[in-house]
Amino acid sequence: MNDGANYQELSRRYGFAPKLESASRLTALVARQDADVDEITKVINKDASLRARLLRVANPNAENESEYGIETVEDALMRNGVGCVLVLAMSTPLAQALVKTFQTMLGSKLESIDPNAATPLNGEHLLGTIGFSGKVVGHVYLRMSLGSGRSIAAGILGLKPEEVENNTEVCDVAGELLNIMTGNFKSNLCDAGLDCKLTPPDVKPTTDFSTPREPGSSVEHMAFRAGDLTLYVDVTANPWND
Amino acid sequence: MAIKILSVDDSRTIRLIVGKTFRPYDVQIIEAANGEEGLVKAAQEKPDLIILDVTMPVMDGVTMLTKLKEDPNLKAIPVIMLTAESGRENVLQIARLGVRDYLVKPFKEDQLIEKAGRIVTLEKKVAA
Repeated sequence: MNDGANYQELSRRYGFAPKLESASRLTALVARQDADVDEITKVINKDASLRARLLRVANPNAENESEYGIETVEDALMRNGVGCVLVLAMSTPLAQALVKTFQTMLGSKLESIDPNAATPLNGEHLLGTIGFSGKVVGHVYLRMSLGSGRSIAAGILGLKPEEVENNTEVCDVAGELLNIMTGNFKSNLCDAGLDCKLTPPDVKPTTDFSTPREPGSSVEHMAFRAGDLTLYVDVTANPWND
Repeated sequence: MAIKILSVDDSRTIRLIVGKTFRPYDVQIIEAANGEEGLVKAAQEKPDLIILDVTMPVMDGVTMLTKLKEDPNLKAIPVIMLTAESGRENVLQIARLGVRDYLVKPFKEDQLIEKAGRIVTLEKKVAA
């Protein structure tokens, strides 16, 4: 039995959830140095949500579609390179893992919302960061209000918010959220041959709203809401760091 | 006598969740924050089951599993991997080393009970 068949067999035995086909396919396409832009364009054009996200990534300063200077997938790929597709391919399993974590560990439904329409955070908030390096270099940033952090920590630990003892617990839970989110996409990257290592999560209160990024990297901004909780996720990535 | 379960994870959150999951059962939870500590606790406590994370500082889960399987006194202890990583290479390598099961985070507490219950006999605590 080859490795692929072995892995399928083990996935069945261990009860793994199936991987997102579109994300795995896009990651595999982008992972090739001689990426076939036509094929990538075809995959993205078939998926309205991917297309909308790519155009948002390609027009980082636009607040809505009417301000887009880049309006087609072909243009986006030509002007930004396939690196912006890598960000999409990574964000998809990351978002799926975040939604699933809320569903399984908090019993609440987390919905993806337009980041431009989300109420912005003000003042001190919680920022969690994980870096990844290897053939892909980048960061995942997770932001939430201090109150949201406390509520999430309480929910995951099975406590009332007032029973969460201190910020250490809040930061540890947010760090584990980041671990779960990024572990999922790291698996996708490694399976596509883009081996990378993750840094331990760094979570702390901050008033800094900047999203540092490597030169030439692409960034996707995402936002999620569950009731009163809003989470903000930024992913930056730059492939082929040889 | 209570079943001994060793939870090896650098995240205190996960160790707390594992502890909470087995609280209704006659189980003694032992904790370690990395593979190195995990090996020491495994040798000291001879647990009936180890629940092991992959990515940890100091010593990761794959290294701990390798050393565990090389030790004639510890190699028979069953291991369930509990990790967010399910990439092909990792899973194949871990399966080759020998684990009884693999649970991908995020997980439901019921899933962990079900997988552990296939390996050790979990008995509910008798109310005092």
